[in-house]
Amino acid sequence: MERKAPAIYYDGLTSKPWEALVSVHGSNTLEVSVVGADGRPETFHWPMEHKGLQWERSGNHMLRLHFGDHPRKVLIVRDELFVQSFALRMRYSGRQGTYDRVLSAARSGPALFFLAVIGLLVGGYLWALPWASERLALLMPRSMDVQLGDAMYAGMAPSLNEDTARSAILQRFADQLQVAPGFKPTFHYVSDDQVNAFAMPGGHIVVFSGIAEKMTKPGQLAALLAHEGTHVEERHSTRMIMRSMGSYVFLSLLLGDLSGVVGVIAQNADNIRGMGYSRSLESEADATGQERMKAGGVDPEGMVHLLELLEQEAQDMPEELSFLSSHPLTKERIAKARAKAAELGQVNVADSLQATLFEQLVKP
Amino acid sequence: MDLLQPRKRFAFTGQGGDLFSVLIVNWLLTIVTLGLYYPWAKARKLQYYYEHSELDGHPFHFHGTGREMFKGFIKAVLLIVLVFGPFYVGSILQKPMLMIGGLILLLVGSMALFPLIIHGSYRYRSSRSSWRGIHFGYRGILKELYSICLRDGFITLVTCGLYSAWLQMNVRSYVLSHLRYGSSRFTYKGDGGDYFLLNLKGYFLTLFTLGIYFFWWMKDRFNYYVDNLSWTVGEGADQRTMRFRSTATGGDMFALMVVNFLIVVFTLGIGLAWAEVRLMRFALSNIEMVGDADLDKVVQTEDEHKNALADDLGDLMDFDIFL
Repeated sequence: MERKAPAIYYDGLTSKPWEALVSVHGSNTLEVSVVGADGRPETFHWPMEHKGLQWERSGNHMLRLHFGDHPRKVLIVRDELFVQSFALRMRYSGRQGTYDRVLSAARSGPALFFLAVIGLLVGGYLWALPWASERLALLMPRSMDVQLGDAMYAGMAPSLNEDTARSAILQRFADQLQVAPGFKPTFHYVSDDQVNAFAMPGGHIVVFSGIAEKMTKPGQLAALLAHEGTHVEERHSTRMIMRSMGSYVFLSLLLGDLSGVVGVIAQNADNIRGMGYSRSLESEADATGQERMKAGGVDPEGMVHLLELLEQEAQDMPEELSFLSSHPLTKERIAKARAKAAELGQVNVADSLQATLFEQLVKP
Repeated sequence: MDLLQPRKRFAFTGQGGDLFSVLIVNWLLTIVTLGLYYPWAKARKLQYYYEHSELDGHPFHFHGTGREMFKGFIKAVLLIVLVFGPFYVGSILQKPMLMIGGLILLLVGSMALFPLIIHGSYRYRSSRSSWRGIHFGYRGILKELYSICLRDGFITLVTCGLYSAWLQMNVRSYVLSHLRYGSSRFTYKGDGGDYFLLNLKGYFLTLFTLGIYFFWWMKDRFNYYVDNLSWTVGEGADQRTMRFRSTATGGDMFALMVVNFLIVVFTLGIGLAWAEVRLMRFALSNIEMVGDADLDKVVQTEDEHKNALADDLGDLMDFDIFL
């Protein structure tokens, strides 16, 4: 950079532009020479490593250098060669900021850069985001699940016609099994014709008489409780809430509107009752439920019988699909449950207490 | 009439592809930092706009930094929470008293903030802008702006909004007439009555022509802004004035708005950078200054003002002060 490049110099005192020549003097000093008002050339030096020297460039066609405090002295260089070599020099001396580097990348191929950013965003949205929000959900204290579930159940309880005597029997039946060992689930037996059952985060599990009365074997009830218990134990609701909140925050950031984050929490809490878990969470609830059945001394084959009962129901009563609609592909699930049961092996326990409790529960 | 008078031209030298790179990097960094980068992104964007706006071949410069805007941003967020918070908390918790109190606070608060935002934004933006190394400045007094806003705001309410043309012109005249460039100053002479008639005519002709006149109406408003502005350099006998003049036509305005609309719609928003560049080119290439003031003779006088609170507040409240 021995070459002297033409530049415009403003002295920060008046608006008069001065013609100037700029070059690099020695290893790291800028030399600026200006022809002053009296016609005499004036030369001064700006150390390039000085903190008071700030520079900005727009591509290769313009470089703006400021020196000193307000009012600054300003030098504008439009010489492409000078701008280029100045930027290179700053890069090697470590004074090129991250921003300038990213922007250079963007400038060298805007379309490619744009696609890369889009790819990054899509990847982030599809993989990184669900992963991160699930990790976050697992970091939440378990007591939060319990509080959330208690609040939700309290809001719902008045509309449920609970049979407290049978709830007590159900509770004893479930306690034998330990369906959600990490929590202390409370079981509610509700007189309602719907073929349905659901679990709230932290432990309230509701079983409708509509489904219990269709059952013929204690294994089916055990399977149902194990399935719902797994939703509680594995904190599926909390994970779902965190996931949809994560998506919401991400999309809001993208669109620059954060006003609805509070809304999404309320909406999610409201939706949980009717919310279908994702297919993978349902499969997890089936399989883990079966393992828990085995641990609790119940034949995991019960899950197969439960799913068969549900499939039967779907054919008999097409208008009452609520349980099944959130549990898609029953055939596939039956096959999986059968395989899992075979893998776990048969458990030959004839638990008379469970059989008795089951009889008491389903008898009219 | 003034064909022999010397004139200076404005120009915008930005390119769509260039601005696109700036915007996409901003976008990326804003997302990666979960929104915290926003003030820096805003600074980068403004810097791009200023750097590529030229008067008489010399670029403008924006000195604002992400750091000072970030400070302003944090303060602005806190202020917004204070003003808007009680109403939202009240409506979520269903507490009627808190809701009504919060609503009153919200309405009074946002009206009281209005002059503050204008004042603060002008102080900040002008002080952080320079041309040929000389900084702009704003020397309006907040109290005076408040009294104009209160008086005219009250009349506007009483007249169901009819008086808003006067409100707008009085505020604009006050603000622009206190704008300075170093030792030189600007003057704006907008008249509420003229502006009212301009809008009345524009409104009805737009109705009668099924919307076609809209572009000519917008052209008239743009011209009214530009043509009433002047710039005075020097004192006493040396005093010279440059008049701003718009050369925009309704046809240009029509082409600008329709093509920009099509660009944004058909590229699903990706073409926004190109639309913005077209807008800036239209605005700047249609402004010229006529007069013989010596633009070399301006002396640096204005101090730096680094508080960006009002500017960020205006941003958060989606309130465009500069048009």
